Amino acid sequence: MVVADPVTSIGIMCASLLLLLSTEPPAKPTLRAMSMIMIVAVLTVTFQLWRGDIARAIDVAADLTSIAALALAVSCSTPMESMLDLVSRMVRPFGRILPPETIGLMFALTLRAIPEAARIFIEARTAARARGLERDPRAVLIPGATRTVGFALQLGQALHARGIAEEAKPERKKRTRKTRKARKSKSDTTPHAEAQERISTDSGITTSSD
Amino acid sequence: MIEFKDATVTAPDSGVSILEPTTMTLSEQRISIIGANGSGKSTLARLINGLVLPVSGTVTVDGIDTAKDGAKVRRKVGYLFTDPTAQLIMPTAVEDVTLSLRRIISDKSERTEAALTALEEIGLGGKADVSVNALSGGQRQLLALAGILAVTPEVIVADEPTTLLDLRWRAHVGALLRTLPLQVIEVTHDLDAASRAERTIVIDSGGVAFDGEPAEAVKFYRDLMFRRPTRTADS
Repeated sequence: MVVADPVTSIGIMCASLLLLLSTEPPAKPTLRAMSMIMIVAVLTVTFQLWRGDIARAIDVAADLTSIAALALAVSCSTPMESMLDLVSRMVRPFGRILPPETIGLMFALTLRAIPEAARIFIEARTAARARGLERDPRAVLIPGATRTVGFALQLGQALHARGIAEEAKPERKKRTRKTRKARKSKSDTTPHAEAQERISTDSGITTSSD
Repeated sequence: MIEFKDATVTAPDSGVSILEPTTMTLSEQRISIIGANGSGKSTLARLINGLVLPVSGTVTVDGIDTAKDGAKVRRKVGYLFTDPTAQLIMPTAVEDVTLSLRRIISDKSERTEAALTALEEIGLGGKADVSVNALSGGQRQLLALAGILAVTPEVIVADEPTTLLDLRWRAHVGALLRTLPLQVIEVTHDLDAASRAERTIVIDSGGVAFDGEPAEAVKFYRDLMFRRPTRTADS
């Protein structure tokens, strides 16, 4: 429960919905996401009404809607890179135990993985239906789970190949100082050419074809 | 320069040989690797950037051992996978390229500018803020390539980069790989693309069966494939 008072909960729900609308979210995906929450809210409200607690029913429904609207408002208005930066900054005090960049990346990967996993299970269900096995849960769960794990492995390999979250932090700090010095002396260099030069300088090898 | 010295790969549980002891030097600008499904082509390719480590022998890139300093190797060697979907992590094109740049550019605005430049150079300048899910297969592969090129590698290993693409995108991505000013090692089933390389390696049953002129390599490969019967459940 966010707030244990129906009137306040309804007020917060209205504010959350207005905030969501202010981010001008895409209509169809937003309605789809809210409708899923509505289903859960209806089930919860029905249970509370069956218990005879109308106030609690309203409270729970409003709280669930508020949480969903706020989450959607954040995801619609905040670039993923900013969320990554925020999560990395938040876990920085625990940097000795958990590398901040890696935690931020885990957060981004979770958001990436959820719709992909949903797409995989939808495809598995379509394939099961095509084979006339729509009533057999194994025909959906087994290929869906296998492909999801396969996707996770591929994603891990791609991360590994891209060198993401691979002992990056100490190197970046050194490069920041170099960047400032380099910037003072080379005002005409573009960031991309500067990145090229950075890598060339650090590796000691030119990036030309020879 | 990429050097293999008796590099061997075996399956971790069964000990079955996936790649026989391989010794060779890859110095040409354009190298293609062809072979049947399951022959060991991708394993050979993954040895180059340390995604797979040899159980014996060594693989070095400019003297750096992939087993001892894989991170350093992967800064020099970019890897382009067959399926671009698994390579794209962030929701929009520009965010995905900036993710690659996080480890080398600390300033956020510089990073974004570099990412936009990389997208512009590869022909996706107008798609910077588009969701990766809204991109076509060919555009996703270009985006994956942009993320690799943005960190200026010296070598690109492309593992069947055009297999999942239609004819138009296959030609476009293939042409782009050919014009890159760095070493490109391409694993491919496209024999036309393979024949345009400077050197072609044919892998068969985990070993190098042919290594040399592309035209001869392709002929050797065709003879090898059509001589071999296709196994069925009844045979």
